[in-house]
Amino acid sequence: MPVFRWPNSLDPWAGLRQMQRELERLMGRGLPEARSIGGGVYPPVNVLNGNDDLLVQCEVAGVKREDLEISITGDTLMIRGRKVPNVDEEKVRFQRRERGTGDFSRTVVLPDKVDPDKVVANLKNGILSIRLPKSEAAKPRQIRVG
Amino acid sequence: MSDNQDIRIKVTPSAPNPSDKAVPPLVDIHEEEDGAVVLTVEIPGADKDKVDVRVDKGVLTIWADGEDVQVPEEYVPTYVGFVGSEYFRAFALSDEVDRDNIQAKVADGLLTLRLPRASAAQTKKIEIKAG
Repeated sequence: MPVFRWPNSLDPWAGLRQMQRELERLMGRGLPEARSIGGGVYPPVNVLNGNDDLLVQCEVAGVKREDLEISITGDTLMIRGRKVPNVDEEKVRFQRRERGTGDFSRTVVLPDKVDPDKVVANLKNGILSIRLPKSEAAKPRQIRVG
Repeated sequence: MSDNQDIRIKVTPSAPNPSDKAVPPLVDIHEEEDGAVVLTVEIPGADKDKVDVRVDKGVLTIWADGEDVQVPEEYVPTYVGFVGSEYFRAFALSDEVDRDNIQAKVADGLLTLRLPRASAAQTKKIEIKAG
């Protein structure tokens, strides 16, 4: 489930949330808050708009490069992937499972037209960054007043 | 590019002090056939040198900093679904864990810790002698 999270510095309820988390931890009610920072099979994305390009970040901890597939159709970006368990599930005994496993796909409608031939994707420390240069027509142009 | 990295476990008397912002990372724990316990911890955004794993008085602490994942200044956020976090979580170790031989590895935003079982705690089959 996607959960919108405020950046910490802007969140007026940060203190209360921290307290709630501590209480839940003490009462052994699990870690609902943690769902929003990772795990599950519905990875959170960021869409950032720059001058010359768009930057889409996606949190895919534990997903291998070869299990990711990125495609662009018109102004729709699709990120597909698979979170595979790193062990043979039948051979080992799980004591705790908080990370999800399975297939996921996220579709992002891009706010601007992009040049699909120049898209670059990079995976580092479980964060996928896709840089999509805007097509010439979508770039902001400065108009001189004559 | 492979970011398979091995890290060294520090066994020190002082545990790291996480800030209030630290969130508990998601963890999978499973037991292997030889009795070793393996922890798989999700720490997206954290580099190998921003991970600190310690064992102190029977408590395993995991700290990692993934706060480098930020909105670059020249970008305007259209939609923000996650932000980089500081991660902290602690586990009490059972006496059966061989504290000196814990192995840690960081790859693809995952920290994998292998906690072998101390030889004294391993299951031994006892032969029954014919009387």
